[in-house]
Amino acid sequence: MPKVTRLFIKSGFIYLFLGIVMTLVAELPQVNTSALLLPVYWHMIVIGWVTQVIMGVSIWMFPRRKRSRENIESVSVLLSFWTLNTGLILRFSAEPFIPLFHGNSAIVLVVVISSLLHIAAVFFYVIEIWPRVFTREKVKRKKQ
Amino acid sequence: MPAQSVWIIRLSLAWLSLATLIGSILLVHKAVDLQPAMWALLPLHFETAIWGWAVQLAMGTAYWIFPRHLVGTKRGPEKLVWWVLILFNTGLIILLAGYLHQSVLPLKLTGRGMMTFSVIIFGISMWSRVKSYSSHTN
Repeated sequence: MPKVTRLFIKSGFIYLFLGIVMTLVAELPQVNTSALLLPVYWHMIVIGWVTQVIMGVSIWMFPRRKRSRENIESVSVLLSFWTLNTGLILRFSAEPFIPLFHGNSAIVLVVVISSLLHIAAVFFYVIEIWPRVFTREKVKRKKQ
Repeated sequence: MPAQSVWIIRLSLAWLSLATLIGSILLVHKAVDLQPAMWALLPLHFETAIWGWAVQLAMGTAYWIFPRHLVGTKRGPEKLVWWVLILFNTGLIILLAGYLHQSVLPLKLTGRGMMTFSVIIFGISMWSRVKSYSSHTN
């Protein structure tokens, strides 16, 4: 399993743990902020866990045209991991406070940077995976 | 990888890009109020992320990786899976149009119907491939 896949899956487990703990916290009768936490724990589970595991496993399992070390740990894959996780950390640290500090320039800045990092992460992932989704016939035709 | 999987997976990547773009716009909108009507995009974000991306990627990968038949066509009725791709994605587009355009036409129902039909076809065509090659088959 390539190092970057391990990074995706291990950080995925951390988000799964945090997400499930947050759902538990939101259920406590003393907590009046369930609505603020709802988008946070949903995104922790859907992006942090599900999407990261899909990304990590697909980077590992999808066929490569060339089997070399630099293809396993390509720049786009590493950029995808770091932009996604930085974006998620920024998002989760700012999103619950948006309704409390609406329009605050620091919160807006963090949210905008986080959004751009999410888009960048998907862009780098698609750049990596798109050329690896191909038919065997296409490879045979190229070899001839 | 079979051509059907190639296109199903590529379409799922396209839906992932769209879902992320919509989600990012909504996140910014939450902080700075870009346009009051922007929240109408929220169901599009869910539908594209869950159906367009996650479910469709799983379908494309399953069609590629599940055990193949030892006799006849390796992956079962191939043309049917092209119909799955067409019905699922057209249905999803019609569903999204239904969220944006509240017309007299039952767009959401039509879209959901097409997606349901495509999933049924997919299930039928994949059912026999959920198996073991060993002689002690279950």
